[in-house]
Amino acid sequence: MDLSIDPETAQRIERLAQLGRSQLRPLGLEADLAGHPLPPDHALFKLLLQLGQGRTRWSPEAEKEPPHNVSPRAGTSRTTLCLVEELSYWDRGVAVAFPGPGLGEPPILSMGTPEQKRRFLGPFVHPDRPRWGSFAMTEPGAGSDVAGIRTTAHKDGQDWVLNGAKSFASNASRADWIVVFATVDPALGREGHRAFVVEQGTAGLGNFLIERKMGLKAYESTSFTLENCRVSGANLLGGEERYARRAGFRGAMRSFNATRPLVAAMAVGIGRAALDEALAFAREQDLLDDSRVRDRLEQIRRKLRAARLLCWRAAWLADCQRPNILEASMAKAVAPAVAFDAASLGMELLGEVGARGDHLLEKLFRDVKAMDIVEGTGQIQRIIMARRLVNLPSERGS
Amino acid sequence: MIDFELDDALSLIRETAREFAQAQLQPRAREFEAARSVAGDVQKRFRQIGLEAMELPERIGGAGLGALARALVLEELGAADAGAALALDPLGPALYPLLELAADDVLEPLVRPLLGRTGARAVLAWDGAEQVRIDDRHVSGQIAWVPADRIDLLVLLRPDGAWAIEEGIAREELRGAGLRAAGASCLRLDSAPVSYAWPDPAGARRALARARLYTAALTLGVMRASAEFSREYALNRVAFGRPIAHHQALAFLIADMAAAVDATRLLVWEAAWRLERGEDASEACATAFAETIEQAMFVTPNGIQILGGHGFMQDYPAEKYMREARTLGLMLGGIDAAREEAGRELARSERPLALVSAEA
Repeated sequence: MDLSIDPETAQRIERLAQLGRSQLRPLGLEADLAGHPLPPDHALFKLLLQLGQGRTRWSPEAEKEPPHNVSPRAGTSRTTLCLVEELSYWDRGVAVAFPGPGLGEPPILSMGTPEQKRRFLGPFVHPDRPRWGSFAMTEPGAGSDVAGIRTTAHKDGQDWVLNGAKSFASNASRADWIVVFATVDPALGREGHRAFVVEQGTAGLGNFLIERKMGLKAYESTSFTLENCRVSGANLLGGEERYARRAGFRGAMRSFNATRPLVAAMAVGIGRAALDEALAFAREQDLLDDSRVRDRLEQIRRKLRAARLLCWRAAWLADCQRPNILEASMAKAVAPAVAFDAASLGMELLGEVGARGDHLLEKLFRDVKAMDIVEGTGQIQRIIMARRLVNLPSERGS
Repeated sequence: MIDFELDDALSLIRETAREFAQAQLQPRAREFEAARSVAGDVQKRFRQIGLEAMELPERIGGAGLGALARALVLEELGAADAGAALALDPLGPALYPLLELAADDVLEPLVRPLLGRTGARAVLAWDGAEQVRIDDRHVSGQIAWVPADRIDLLVLLRPDGAWAIEEGIAREELRGAGLRAAGASCLRLDSAPVSYAWPDPAGARRALARARLYTAALTLGVMRASAEFSREYALNRVAFGRPIAHHQALAFLIADMAAAVDATRLLVWEAAWRLERGEDASEACATAFAETIEQAMFVTPNGIQILGGHGFMQDYPAEKYMREARTLGLMLGGIDAAREEAGRELARSERPLALVSAEA
């Protein structure tokens, strides 16, 4: 039992904090006011590459080692969790705009063939310029219910032809490639799912529309269409053999499970920023002599601390390679609501100053709402928890 | 680095406590409640497995175990019968002012006579508002409720210090709202002589923190039992054609109750971990206490609600869990005093939850 952060991770957090103070927070506020994402050629992204960001976790060397040769207690998830919380503390929107393979990386790592990893993640080992990867599951008509996607994939010779529309994919218009989920037969539900890596410039991939959002404006959430979009069979993640073994959808869900504690930790980061701002404002305005104000701030700190511990536990289980589905969903169900309360309380303390629309807390209040939606809404998390706790049957039976 | 693994020793202690609690306490909880005491054979067993003086230093006959071991044991005991847990523990949270303030040559003669004697009790009384009058080594005043029918040693704890009182305690028996297995009394002190006085606010603050963690860990056990019992009930009870747990309204409630229990446990563990590291853990203990009581007041009433009419009946333990949790939450000034302490500490902090290295 240990709740300390090792000195090396703490140093990395401190370096991120310096970057956050000087770059992320001011740029996040700037993008929020401008109402559009940081452009791909923004100087920040080149700076980030120099700082070692924007890279893949995959390495050609790791590929040669047996898959279980990693130390189970190596602490990867916990370290990442701490770093992600710190980044989100400074600006979660800018953090998502960071170059790198992004959410496309986990499915490639878990489902991709060695050749696919080399081909798609290789350019992210020592990137020559800021590069992005993207991930597209959500559709206009299918969000939480991922089994309901309607983007189709038809085999045509050695190729696949994709048709459909995708929504809210982060960094999609600037990405080198997008991991697109499609179905070979909607009637098959999850069994019919296939994941394709669709490269930028492929004919039929287009109509990129950067959505206008309530918050988190520093990165692009992009909708696009696939119209007779032809991709090579070599771009089907895992190859046909994998799906013959019916492992398709399970692979996709694994990537979700890995990210839930991370998204929860992002919420904790935003909530912590809101708490610090609210506390600073209350101090400036001499509100801290009021026990009612102290009580409410105290409650927020307490709930944030509990939420952070839930995140840490889920990540620790992942590092130990123990099942963490219940714990990951618990963290994800709890943290965003707490972070929202933090930002909302901050607004309340600001009073009419909050209504002006030019205070960091007002931005955080808009930003944070997304955290209860992405990577499975709070309601979806409770369904997943209830499956573990009381065998809640699946609506579609699986 | 962050690690929630309990080592083998801690796991064994928890397992031992769980086996004892589930076998000896849980099935007889209603009997103990009615008798206002725990049967002698059970107390003997409690002693045999080494739970009686687990936190007492080894040099005076204890096991010298730390705050985390204590919290694990208390959760297990609380999950079976929180009242019995208090009745069985001759020292209870009254130990903490003694450990923090008394020298060994005082501690030993105060504590030793309580060990190995069935029914002996040291009782902690928290007087946060300093309403008890203390003058010239005599104490006068009233303590509205303590969970005990017998008091061998009264430890009066206040923000400005602690006082040990062994004589001159008039006791009036009360029915008690909860924790009845431990008894329930109103105490009247009329110039009761003080055996030892420790006017030391810093030590009193440390003792209060540890007493809060003790109470929180016990309450955590109660809420866990409530959540667990109602979850199992909801899986077996059928309404509208399916187990009530499979109606989403209850499925979500059960999920939220499980999250409340887990989140609370992690805060209790964090406070224990800080105590064991020798940190100033007053805020962490106050935070753990506040969260436990707040969440217990969410979990245990819903533990009744899920059972519907059965929840209200005393055939099931659900109603007892709620009474025990509510009563535990009244101790040590309750949630408001804990929040006041944590809130004042927060008002002095700059970046209260900053991620920093342990050495910083």
